[in-house]
Amino acid sequence: MTSILEIESFGFRYANAPRNAVADFSLEVTEGSILVLAGPSGCGKSTLLRAVNGLIPHMYNGDYSGDVKVAGRSVKGSEMRELAQTVGFLFQNPENQIFMFSVERDVAFGLENLGVPHDEIRSRVDEAMELLGIASLAKRAPHELSDGQKQRVALAGVLAMRPKLVILDEPTSLLDPRTAKELVELVARLRKELGTTFLIVEHRLELLVEVADKMVVMSGGRKVLDGSPQEVLMGDLAEGYGVAVPAVTKLQKMLAGDGLVRGDRMMTGTELAKTISQAGH
Amino acid sequence: MMWLSGGFLFRSSSSYYHRLDPRVKLLISILMFVCALLARYIYELVLVMAFMAGVAVTAKVLARVGRTMFLTATFSAVIFVVNFLVTRNLVSSELYAVRFVAIVVSTSLFFITASPDELEQVMKTFRMPRDVVFAFVTAVRFIPVMMLDTFQIMDAQKSRGLEMQKGNVFLRLKNMIPVLIPLVVNAVVRSGELAEAMESRAYGAVPKPTSLVRYKARGVDKAVAVAAVALFALTAYSFYVVLPPLFL
Repeated sequence: MTSILEIESFGFRYANAPRNAVADFSLEVTEGSILVLAGPSGCGKSTLLRAVNGLIPHMYNGDYSGDVKVAGRSVKGSEMRELAQTVGFLFQNPENQIFMFSVERDVAFGLENLGVPHDEIRSRVDEAMELLGIASLAKRAPHELSDGQKQRVALAGVLAMRPKLVILDEPTSLLDPRTAKELVELVARLRKELGTTFLIVEHRLELLVEVADKMVVMSGGRKVLDGSPQEVLMGDLAEGYGVAVPAVTKLQKMLAGDGLVRGDRMMTGTELAKTISQAGH
Repeated sequence: MMWLSGGFLFRSSSSYYHRLDPRVKLLISILMFVCALLARYIYELVLVMAFMAGVAVTAKVLARVGRTMFLTATFSAVIFVVNFLVTRNLVSSELYAVRFVAIVVSTSLFFITASPDELEQVMKTFRMPRDVVFAFVTAVRFIPVMMLDTFQIMDAQKSRGLEMQKGNVFLRLKNMIPVLIPLVVNAVVRSGELAEAMESRAYGAVPKPTSLVRYKARGVDKAVAVAAVALFALTAYSFYVVLPPLFL
């Protein structure tokens, strides 16, 4: 397995800030995997994401240490336009990343900026809209869309550029539970169909435990936990770092503590319910 | 505000006029504007305005243009009075007042029939810098968003006891401050996020970006453009050579 992202003891302190936002952070992400990054607000997640897509150091000044490599190339030594084609960034608020007056023109925005020929833009825009099920919205204006639709439009604009790595910054924070679930299913499907790697910052972990390959927890700018979702969430430390351990997992841990269910493998809600009801008979 | 939104904001429509190439619509508006400047007598201006009304009917916007005309006429009345007091010349004051209405209407006809996309296209045709065009696009794009922001902030401040409909003009203006400050702060934060999103989508990567949409002048657009220029030439010729001076 090749790694798409390699972070080697990365650290960053914003200009005029008293201390590092991120310090001594190392991480390796294999291509085609889904990594979830968790941790309380202000723990340095956003800084880390910006360092992966190049906004740091290209747009923000400060003390930069260590190295971040995407697809084998150092972010520091690459230009924003090259990075834009390898790393896609879906920001938290979809409203602020839709620029044009219609959905299809916005999806085309990145490709237009790159100078992709007209015919190819057309086919890639259609493909991206088809992939996200928004082809019927092509001519709509942004203010005619729901939050969930806006998010899909923004994601289509990111995917049209065919990035290898896609960053999602709290993608479900504005979505209702059902739309949030649909988004997570979409991510799993895109990973399978396109082989895209996803780096997701998310608080609602219960949605992601089933699709994530790896989970990293940050606190105070440092990496404090790193492992499979099972290792992180079934362990004793996650809650102490402010991670919202899913209720099902908490219950399983409590029951496992009393020896009522197994504690070696994380169960889904359905599995746990089945085990409990079988135990009852 | 009413005057501005009614007279200058685009609303989509499928009229023949709306479907014309935006550059042709701009050409027609400019020619009507120039005609209004060329006219030396009131009846000539009335002819020009009758033509504008014809355009408005074709574009199915006569009611809106009529309203704009009516509201502009109030400004016009001021122009007339000031002019008359200064020059003591009834005819020229009349001319200035009516001409003002005519040029506002010709401009308004362009803006209410050209979609923001088409305005962008026109700006590109004139080879305006990409940054300027993009600034225009985002400004228009975020008008509905900012309006929503404003209403939300107003609701929030009202629910905390801000009374916006009470008191004299000065008090009301002062009461706008708790709405304006969060609005401006919001806009600044938003612009920072926009800048990050632009960078992430390779804004400015190549000097000549390509485009998903291509506007192509159809045969009918060219024909209308030629007809407009011909009619303009004829009008200018008649104004100065054929038509007699009638002091109305």
